[in-house]
Amino acid sequence: MTLLGRWLAGLARGDAGRSWISGDEVGPGILQGLGISLLLMAVALMVAAVTAAAITSRTLWLGSRRRLDERGGGGGASAVLAALPEFLTASVLAAVVGVQLGWLPALGWYGPQWTVLPALALGLPAGALLGRMLDDMLPGAFAEPWALASAARGVPARSIARQALRRCVPGLLPNIGLFVVGLTGGAVAVEQIFDIPGLGRTTLQAAIAQDLPVLQAGTLALVLLAAAAGALARLAARLLIGPALRDGALQSLHRPTPPAPRATPLLYGAVLLGGIATGLTRDPLALDTGAKLQSPSWTHPFGTDALGRDVLARIGHGAFGTLTLAVAISAAALLTGVALGLLPRLSGPLVDTVNAVPPVLAGLLTAGVAGSGAATPALAVAVVAWAPLAAHTTALLEQERATTHVAATKGLGADRWYLLRHELLPAVLPPVTRHALLRLPAVALALTALGFLGIGTQPPDPEWGLLLAENQPYVERAPWAVLAPAAALALLGVLAVKSAGGVRLPHRLAAVTVRQQKHATAGATTVGKPG
Amino acid sequence: MTPIPTRTMRSVPRRRLLAGLLLTPVLTSCFASGGDTSGEDSADGSRLRVALAFPPAENLSPYGADATLLSRLGVTEGLTALDANGSAAPALAESWTRENDRTWLFTLREATFQDGTAVTPAAVAAALTHATEAKPVTAALSGVALKAAKADGNRVRVTTEDADPALPLRLSSPGLAVLSPKAYGKERNKPNPVGTATGPFEITKVSGTTSATLDRNDDYWGGRAQASGVDARFISDGTARTNALRTGQVDIAEAVPVSQAAALEKGTRHETATTRTTSLLLNTDKGAFKDPALRSAAREAVDTSVFAKDVYEGYADPGVGVFGPAVTWAADKRVKPAGRAKAADADGTSVTVATYNNRPELPEVAQVLQQQLEKAGFKVKLEVREYSRLESDALSGKFDAFVGARNSLLDTGDPVSILASDYSCDGSYNLALLCDKKVDKAVTEAEALSDSAKRQQAAMDAEAAILGTDAVVPLVHQQIITGVGTSVQGVIFDPYERTLVGTGTRR
Repeated sequence: MTLLGRWLAGLARGDAGRSWISGDEVGPGILQGLGISLLLMAVALMVAAVTAAAITSRTLWLGSRRRLDERGGGGGASAVLAALPEFLTASVLAAVVGVQLGWLPALGWYGPQWTVLPALALGLPAGALLGRMLDDMLPGAFAEPWALASAARGVPARSIARQALRRCVPGLLPNIGLFVVGLTGGAVAVEQIFDIPGLGRTTLQAAIAQDLPVLQAGTLALVLLAAAAGALARLAARLLIGPALRDGALQSLHRPTPPAPRATPLLYGAVLLGGIATGLTRDPLALDTGAKLQSPSWTHPFGTDALGRDVLARIGHGAFGTLTLAVAISAAALLTGVALGLLPRLSGPLVDTVNAVPPVLAGLLTAGVAGSGAATPALAVAVVAWAPLAAHTTALLEQERATTHVAATKGLGADRWYLLRHELLPAVLPPVTRHALLRLPAVALALTALGFLGIGTQPPDPEWGLLLAENQPYVERAPWAVLAPAAALALLGVLAVKSAGGVRLPHRLAAVTVRQQKHATAGATTVGKPG
Repeated sequence: MTPIPTRTMRSVPRRRLLAGLLLTPVLTSCFASGGDTSGEDSADGSRLRVALAFPPAENLSPYGADATLLSRLGVTEGLTALDANGSAAPALAESWTRENDRTWLFTLREATFQDGTAVTPAAVAAALTHATEAKPVTAALSGVALKAAKADGNRVRVTTEDADPALPLRLSSPGLAVLSPKAYGKERNKPNPVGTATGPFEITKVSGTTSATLDRNDDYWGGRAQASGVDARFISDGTARTNALRTGQVDIAEAVPVSQAAALEKGTRHETATTRTTSLLLNTDKGAFKDPALRSAAREAVDTSVFAKDVYEGYADPGVGVFGPAVTWAADKRVKPAGRAKAADADGTSVTVATYNNRPELPEVAQVLQQQLEKAGFKVKLEVREYSRLESDALSGKFDAFVGARNSLLDTGDPVSILASDYSCDGSYNLALLCDKKVDKAVTEAEALSDSAKRQQAAMDAEAAILGTDAVVPLVHQQIITGVGTSVQGVIFDPYERTLVGTGTRR
């Protein structure tokens, strides 16, 4: 404690102390790492923006022309992208684009062309996630009266699309802010593969070597960045829809019509289950080192791994553990996220802090507090997993509170509980739940990231993240050993996203329609207000 | 309700452009420096680009983990060096004699430090004295007390508290590098080897843990190096290191992981048998393996050929003892271990096997081991962690067994030291927690011998005593794979992993 005090006092004089390991000044090193990481994050965000634009372009195009009903289910590609593990994309890009094709440098950080591959690896999944969330909200915006009125008045489609974006982006801003911080401090795997001397690697190494001054300075930099990003996100939201928020003149972002139930989720589910069932009939632990890294064949449909184990069997046997844990953690994160998201004053600073702590560091801390019991890895992931959901809830809630129909309900004498149960939660829960489902594969992978600390899954357990990690070095020699578990994970992502919008029971459908009608009447009272 | 388009939005791009222009200088500082060293070729020899696995951890202090980094790049030297047979060879000392049991006289050769001053007996004595005062003391001096003083002529007298027949070997350790008086500045524990060492290359710049720049030392006593300098990059990820060589960003990549070896073209792959041995260490103090009969059962269950052939893909030799084939004299002097316990039936005994993942092959070794032990009736649980999070638990005996790789000659070059530190009662790195009277006696006897052949034979006798307890099951003797660009010649493939770049290395 006195150490911490002395360090803080030194910090006030601009002296971040000296590393316990190297004896070097901490300040310059951390600043350089921060600069590098910020640049990487900025380029990754650009990639993410392009990805998100590509994902939402169809909805924007159709929506601004009031032809949304032509929009199919969609979302499969984005769910696959969002489920892509960064380290896998990174090693594939480095091996294929960097080494084999030689188009871009495979490692280092010496100029603009060095930024492309790492930014792609980081930006694609982030962009897919954000794009998917945006795509989820856009139909609601296009269903608002102003859009209808604008179209009727002959306002160009492009302007309508732009305004729809402006309407939806504020709900995403807190999450973009979270990505800013997460990509700066949490890009350890990508920094490792591309040999980038960024902040994530520096802090992780310091945490492992118990080099407190470096760790403190690195974490402080991230916390400050998180605070700044959070403030900026709030400011931007204010700028974009501030007046509407203040005047309580927003519409609820409900989807105009619930997506029709589809059979596709059943198809994906059947493929996934079929694969798993076939795998379950085989032995996931039988080693045959003589038959390592074999190509797919009749005896080994997905080939063998580096120790000659059947990849299909490992995927099948790992499924149960991976899925139950991931689903349980996601559910817990959803509950906590929504509950805390309802209390923005409490959760706002908490979200910023939790997100500023790199996940691995959070794992270390949790292990320190909870010991290395069986529940520790799940706890360590859950500790950080709720933050983006809480941020999303808060952002949506803020808008929902400013909607006219809530004002109307209040006017009719509804108390706070009634508002919460019948107006706010029904509006906020569906998008946040879809968000949680979208993050399901990431949660499954986060468990593996803790493995090397000795608190995650241990080999030879066939947990999916572990499968990916242990086969990653062989990605060039035996691509199938990595691609098969990655495909299973992607399938899980698609399944989660599709079934969120698709498989609905008939009576639930009816309830939703009734609610939509109610909102339509509530909205009608304010149509006359100038937009 | 949201307003319909406004004109103010148009001016934003211009503002952005301005911001972009202002940001440019900021951005350039966000890249690592010293990138495009495609090697400025001059008539004077070109620069070598080397990818090393471990970045400097302790400010390049030769007393700690950075010592081998310095000697591998040809920066530092000691009084002696190791030759191919593991005997002491002249380096800064031209020759040496033993005055009596505890005193040695080293005659220095004519050499200069990289800062231009002469290597004098006083400077050498001061350098050695500084090393003895360092805290923590460098590995080669652990448990040894020595004094160094200048003697008449060009000689240095080194006196040890106890008789130390292995002193010339000990002085070859990279931790006992000789630096000029300038290096030992304000901080006692952290001498600065930048421009103060004696080797063929001189460090001119270090960029944190990313890279280091070295220039040729034109006054090197062993002749001018052929390469005009070295650009070293520290790339900890094995795949990234290999990729650096494959894309031509570096000329030499050290420690290519086995998983990446197949990706290298034939002509660029060089394997060297090393003195590094991967073994299974059984906890003789606590738990199931306290019982010698179960240890014996574990040894019999292990089939070492699988590890060398399949897990290491042929880049290793099956384990035969603590010292492998890279220790050239060991095979002829090997003694068959005697007094091994008769194997008992494992009968479902459950054991925990721990290993670390800093060396990617070890978790694979552990999984194969698990299968072999389970076939023999053990129940095996694996514990894989990062090394720094494992060491203290392993040393305190929390696991039944430990799989680790250990360089058997690195610190001192003396075969007896490692037996003493790893397998004797008061050994500092005794992962098997072995405390056996016979072993201690054999090690103490070996420590007293000065004749190198006799000492080696005694070391092998001690090895047999250790293997007789079944505390250690040698699995493989590793080969190190060095990736070398096709145009590069004269790389030193050192079984002791102490040297890499020398005067004859060129591109």
